[in-house]
Amino acid sequence: MAAINQPYGQRRSLPVPVRLPGFNGWVLAAIVIAGLAAMLPVLQNSTATSRGFDVQRLQNEQTRINGDIRLLEADVAQLTSLPRIQRRAAEIGLGPAETPIYVTIDEPGPAPAKIPAEYLPGPAPKTDEPESWLHSLLKWVRLGQ
Amino acid sequence: MAQRGHGTRRVWLPAAFLGAFALVILGRLVQLQVIQHGAYARQTREEQTADATFYARRGSILDRNGNVLAASVDTWNVYVSGRTWRAPERSGPASQQLASLIRMDPVALRAMVAGKNGDVLVARDVDYATGNAIAAAEIPGVVLLPDSKRVTPEGDVGASVLGLTGLDNTGLAGIELSHNGELLGKPGQAVYERDTTGDPIPFGRSVVEEPQPGQDLVLTIDRYLQQMAEQKLDAAVKEHRAQGGSVIMMDPHTGEILALASSPGLKYSSLDLSDRKQVELLKNRAVTDLYEPGSVMKVVTAAAAIDQGLVTPDTSYVDTGEIRLYDVTIKNWDDRVYGVQTMTGVLQNSINTGAVFMVEKLGQPLFHKYLDAFGFGRTTGIDLSGEAEGIIRKPGDEHLDPPWSPVDLATQSFGQSISVTPIQMLSAIAACINGGLLMKPHLVAATIDGRGVRHDIAPTVEGRVISEQTSATIRMMLEKVVNPGWPDPMQPRNYTAGGKSGTANVPVASGYDDRQIASFVEFAPTDNPRLIVLVKLDQNQDLLTGRVAAAPVAAAILDDALNYLNVLPSDVNKQVRR
Repeated sequence: MAAINQPYGQRRSLPVPVRLPGFNGWVLAAIVIAGLAAMLPVLQNSTATSRGFDVQRLQNEQTRINGDIRLLEADVAQLTSLPRIQRRAAEIGLGPAETPIYVTIDEPGPAPAKIPAEYLPGPAPKTDEPESWLHSLLKWVRLGQ
Repeated sequence: MAQRGHGTRRVWLPAAFLGAFALVILGRLVQLQVIQHGAYARQTREEQTADATFYARRGSILDRNGNVLAASVDTWNVYVSGRTWRAPERSGPASQQLASLIRMDPVALRAMVAGKNGDVLVARDVDYATGNAIAAAEIPGVVLLPDSKRVTPEGDVGASVLGLTGLDNTGLAGIELSHNGELLGKPGQAVYERDTTGDPIPFGRSVVEEPQPGQDLVLTIDRYLQQMAEQKLDAAVKEHRAQGGSVIMMDPHTGEILALASSPGLKYSSLDLSDRKQVELLKNRAVTDLYEPGSVMKVVTAAAAIDQGLVTPDTSYVDTGEIRLYDVTIKNWDDRVYGVQTMTGVLQNSINTGAVFMVEKLGQPLFHKYLDAFGFGRTTGIDLSGEAEGIIRKPGDEHLDPPWSPVDLATQSFGQSISVTPIQMLSAIAACINGGLLMKPHLVAATIDGRGVRHDIAPTVEGRVISEQTSATIRMMLEKVVNPGWPDPMQPRNYTAGGKSGTANVPVASGYDDRQIASFVEFAPTDNPRLIVLVKLDQNQDLLTGRVAAAPVAAAILDDALNYLNVLPSDVNKQVRR
């Protein structure tokens, strides 16, 4: 009732409760982390898919190259075959010696015949220096790209 | 209050109903996902996944110097879907396109596929580049499946040793068969997820086991010597109008076979397995066929008698031209009477009575003990399949028809009543001249595994048969056979050599007929034999003896082969020192 009798001009305004969202850093960080966490599987899937394509492409490439290598090995064998060498020798006028002269030379003979390179193991793969933990971490952050 | 009770029932009844329904659902879920989990998971896997076998690369076969004798190359088998090609508007252009790539008649191609629903194999072992071109062309209904085929860069050289493989990449004859396990490798297995049409889902594929390539084999065979042996054998067979023959070159100290030729033999260039006669060629006659060696066996008889100290090279006896044993008369091969002869003379003149003289001194148990020690009557263990054991007539063998008699012992001393394989005979003579050790003949010098590591196979000593001194004596005696003091076609031009001939008739049920087998075994140089050669001619129509027909071939082979192997001539005058 007292309020009714109050003069208009002297009326005191009531405090309006202000509920502005607090610009709290922790909350923001939590949102960012949650967002990143949600994005991570997407990025991982994307990377895995991309890598899968690459692996399949490289496997096909490897199969093709292996096939080519075997073909080339067969070609080399064909080109170095005895009938071909003999045919070529005949073409350029070479033939077996009828009365060979043997010359003894006081020098070591040629090295014994070796197995062709294609049947020997390839060079050992280079082992890279172990990565620093920082480098590994950076690679991981960039999802290995 | 009454309203509250009524409301409770309205809640409880549906709740109970829904609860019971939920329990049923839950129970079913437990049944499907827990109790029967394994069965359904397996069923799902079976529907969603498929597996495929990747055949491993078959190992190559190399000669002793690393030259490729047989290797596998990738090929494609071309299939056409009959269902896809059912529509003429589709099969027309597709068949034109495919036919131009695989060089076939498009009409014939369409005829192969017509009326068939499944995939039809239209071309086998299409070369790798053509297959890639077909794949790139993306012809409707055409499916390519990987395969491989064997190539032999040296052509027919060594075919009877190498053998061949079947369509399934498995060895059927020769080294390909006897070493199939090492050459074949281990197939790989892949499991992949597939879609509803059965096609693999990208990235769903996971290789469970990578194929392990087969091992490469390094043979003891030398391609040049093999070619030489085959050419000289073919020439001799033709010259003497023989039905066939064999040539074997061996290192007497190690048992390594440097060349092994058989005639008639397998030839890739004219192979037709629908012909029964050609199927016969898959066996290597130098290890599968038996023959009576004839007088070459006198070397074994002499080695045994000398090793026992019963005779020396100079021991003499009187040859009367024949020996009467029970009711059988044994004569010399040329019906001659040689009079007083030494044991060296027995070998030089190939006198049958002299061999009987030695075997009588040895006696049956001792002679047969030596035959066993020299490896007769059992396989040598050479790495070729189908090797024959040979037959030695012995007392107490109830299966013999006619039964054994002492005459058999006498005839065995000069190579009758005994059947051997060429490889057995060569191994035995090698033991006589290499210092007395019986070596296991072998064709594989080393294997190379998938990592490229070479594993050498060491020579195998089967045992000592005679003493080193006896072996040296036999070498000296055999040198006198080849070099009696005057030029002879048995002698190589550039090397000292020793050897012995054999000419035996072919046994038949009633005895022997006029067909003969002429052979000669020769080694050189005599002081340190590097090579021993057996030349055998089957049923030569000119009826020349082993000494006349086979010996010149052996001498020529030794000359050329030792020259090729950089062995200096025995005659120092032919050398120039720098």
